[in-house]
Amino acid sequence: MEKIIDFCKHAFLKIKNKNVNEFEIYGSSAAHNEIEIYEEDIENLSFADTKGLGFRVFKDKRMGYAYTSNLSDSAIDSCIEKAIENSKVTNQEEFNYLPVKKEFMHKDTDFDRNVLYAPEFIDFTIEDKIKVSKELELSVKKRDKRIKGISNLIYEDTVSETVILNSLDLEDSYKASAAFLYISVISREGEDVSTGDYFGYERTPQKLNSDDIAENAVKRSTSLLGAKKVKSQVADLMLSPMVAIQFLGIIASVIMADSVQKGKSLLAGRIGEKIFSQNFNIVDDGTLPDGLASRPFDGEGVPKGRTSVFEKGVLKTYLHNSYSARKDKRLSTGNASRASYKSPPDIGISNFYLEPSDVNEGKILQKISNGFYVIDVIGLHSGVNPISGQISIGAKGIWIENGNLTYPVKEVTIATDLLRFCKNLAEVGSDLKFMPAGGYIGSPSMHIRDIAISGS
Amino acid sequence: MLEQKLIKKILNILLSSGGDFSEVFIQKRNLNNMRLDDGKIENSTSGFELGCGLRLINKDSTFYAYVDSIDTESLLNAAKILSSAVDSSSKNKVLDLSENKGGYKANVEQFPSDIAQENKKSLLDSTNEKARDFSKYIIQVSANLSDADDTVIIANSNGLLINDSSVKVFLAVNVIAKKGNEIRTGYKSLARTMGYEIFKSKNPEAVALEAAGIAIKMLDAVNAPAGSLPVVIGPAFGGVIFHEACGHGLEADAIIKDASVFKDKINKKIASNILTAVDDSTLRHHWGSYAFDDEGCPSQKNILIENGILKNYIFDYKSACKLKARQTGNGRRQSFRDLPVPRMSNTFIECGSDENEAIIKSVKTGIYAKEFAGGQVDTATGDFVFGISEGYLIKNGVISEPIKGATLIGNGPDILNRIEAIGKDLDFAPGFCGKAGQSITNEVGQPTILIDKITVGGTEV
Repeated sequence: MEKIIDFCKHAFLKIKNKNVNEFEIYGSSAAHNEIEIYEEDIENLSFADTKGLGFRVFKDKRMGYAYTSNLSDSAIDSCIEKAIENSKVTNQEEFNYLPVKKEFMHKDTDFDRNVLYAPEFIDFTIEDKIKVSKELELSVKKRDKRIKGISNLIYEDTVSETVILNSLDLEDSYKASAAFLYISVISREGEDVSTGDYFGYERTPQKLNSDDIAENAVKRSTSLLGAKKVKSQVADLMLSPMVAIQFLGIIASVIMADSVQKGKSLLAGRIGEKIFSQNFNIVDDGTLPDGLASRPFDGEGVPKGRTSVFEKGVLKTYLHNSYSARKDKRLSTGNASRASYKSPPDIGISNFYLEPSDVNEGKILQKISNGFYVIDVIGLHSGVNPISGQISIGAKGIWIENGNLTYPVKEVTIATDLLRFCKNLAEVGSDLKFMPAGGYIGSPSMHIRDIAISGS
Repeated sequence: MLEQKLIKKILNILLSSGGDFSEVFIQKRNLNNMRLDDGKIENSTSGFELGCGLRLINKDSTFYAYVDSIDTESLLNAAKILSSAVDSSSKNKVLDLSENKGGYKANVEQFPSDIAQENKKSLLDSTNEKARDFSKYIIQVSANLSDADDTVIIANSNGLLINDSSVKVFLAVNVIAKKGNEIRTGYKSLARTMGYEIFKSKNPEAVALEAAGIAIKMLDAVNAPAGSLPVVIGPAFGGVIFHEACGHGLEADAIIKDASVFKDKINKKIASNILTAVDDSTLRHHWGSYAFDDEGCPSQKNILIENGILKNYIFDYKSACKLKARQTGNGRRQSFRDLPVPRMSNTFIECGSDENEAIIKSVKTGIYAKEFAGGQVDTATGDFVFGISEGYLIKNGVISEPIKGATLIGNGPDILNRIEAIGKDLDFAPGFCGKAGQSITNEVGQPTILIDKITVGGTEV
């Protein structure tokens, strides 16, 4: 089978003769495996080889886009025509053109792109993948007799190749691998039911630690058995890293330069201001060696690097692609992102994390006299409005009394607004964890003061 | 797109090492999406997708492969790889294919391909102008217009053969209003299973005005209360509460895995006597409608709950076989790249006998929740949330100040028994529903209802 780079080069020859000012071809191919296990048997096993091309054209400072997963000659021809047609209706703007080197914030990265692909990946056979998944199920079931079922056990892996070519003679590519293992566990005690989930995410399946996944999923599920509502009140929150990561995801959405420029961010016009009351550092680093979102270049070929977004609680920069950077007279931070070849570059985070402290999270918990240790949240899509900043989401966890974890709590909400959240964030732990969440987001445990909890 | 003879050959190869069922799902999909933001057409994207998903079921195990092409060699190759994953004593033959030409055909008047991109642009431009003219406090408008033209062939070893096509058009408008330091948003969408004649039923400006109206009304919102209160849920998008609190728990895959609070509850009372709820994929031109589901089963009306009694679950082929039930036409998938799973279509609460005004009047202190930002459920526990995007306080039976966005949280079986009144103003709202990593078109609906007590996640403790 032809390689994706060959399709890109073939398409390059076709588009070269068209009447456009500039163009870009973004191609990707992937081999994907997915396994679901239920009651020690294969529930689903699927594999796929997929590929596609996306064409971005610039004509008279207008941009058009089209993609195709059908790589036949005629389909590529119609796709190119469609991209050109689309460029006729979009707005004419002086900032519409391909990125050039002087606009790069991270010019010379010494990022070793070889770390993105684990060569031992191919040694792990389908049988091995099924085995590791089945072992996870068994490991979970034998840990606690209250475990009565598995609602989801999924293994997924992908090897992908990404290619970018443009009319400014850019030609670059990288190969990446990733494996993901996830379980959601149901535990029961009498009439009471509780669920809990956990995952592992690595560059190669050999590194997945099913014992760790099993232990965490079981703990998250069983520790909430017997949970009840508490009275509505204002109290301190201690967010476990898995929950803190989701709050950090909300912060990520308000530092995208395009949102800022369109008046959709609470942080518009606030560069240089102290947003957090404490000295927290938040970084976007697209070249972190262990970061699953690390890449040599972004969605339009601009080198990635380490960008300090908050330094000692002060907002230092927004995240940019080349278009938004020109608008603000800044440099591109290498954050042009694409969900796939199906969309033109947008702006997105890469490895985005809050730096941990050296304070043990247990020590922080001991200081809370009346509070809520949040293990899981529900309803982030519907309960968070990143534009107005309002947050109201469902939560479950364990009540804290005099520095000790006491009884489990569920069916309550926590509500605040984003700026207050930042102000009230008092302390973070040392337990930095990462999770794939529209990028690869990392956070330690967080202690937040005085948040409204709604219950009975 | 593909000859019957070749389809049958693929179905046979799939079963060559044994197995109970084989299926070919071929899909061609052309998509367009145009986006207006910040007063201008920011992006116009078109997509061409063509591919095939092959499925082989052996006992409880499903084997799936897809290819981004319908090229004979790759299909035969994929079929061979799949069949080699199975070694089964269950030998089945592929029955002769006979085409089912039934099912309703939604007539399309204006295909997306007949509409010039320029016309779509002017449609978005007028949406933008209308919303901005509504108030000086409106600071931003974004609008998305997308269409999908889909053709599928579905064939399986039971002899089923379907040729089907559908056209969908979707318009969404987001408005941002700002007064002092307060920023509020308003969202409205219009989406139907039909062509561009969709705008004869409602013009895009009307959608823009509704979105703008919400954002402006919410500018004066006060903090929402925290605690348990009576809540009146408005018609149309209010139906998301049934979708989350109950619908997902009735999807048969959750039942099979013992991950639903509604397991073993058929013919048992699970809800207030006044509640009747339905999943109906035959509603003409509705967003969640289709002629056949993505396994080729004809669409149908499925009564889920009748007068508080649970009547049926929501099935796809595999779950219906497993539970020895009849398929309900709910085997749906995002595309040829995905496995079909049981999914809702248009799911709604039927009209009751209460007057809408009387329902509001009956509440002394509570909340009127009119528009929603969606929701989420854990089917195993029944715990669900949904977010209010337009809501008001009710004081002495009268709708009063708007409240800032708040989440409602509750437990499905508990809430179903707390429905105290159901009005007569049934209406529907389109949306997208995510499950198993797949996003599909969905519609929710209901008349005005009253829930006697639910936890409101505000900040005013």
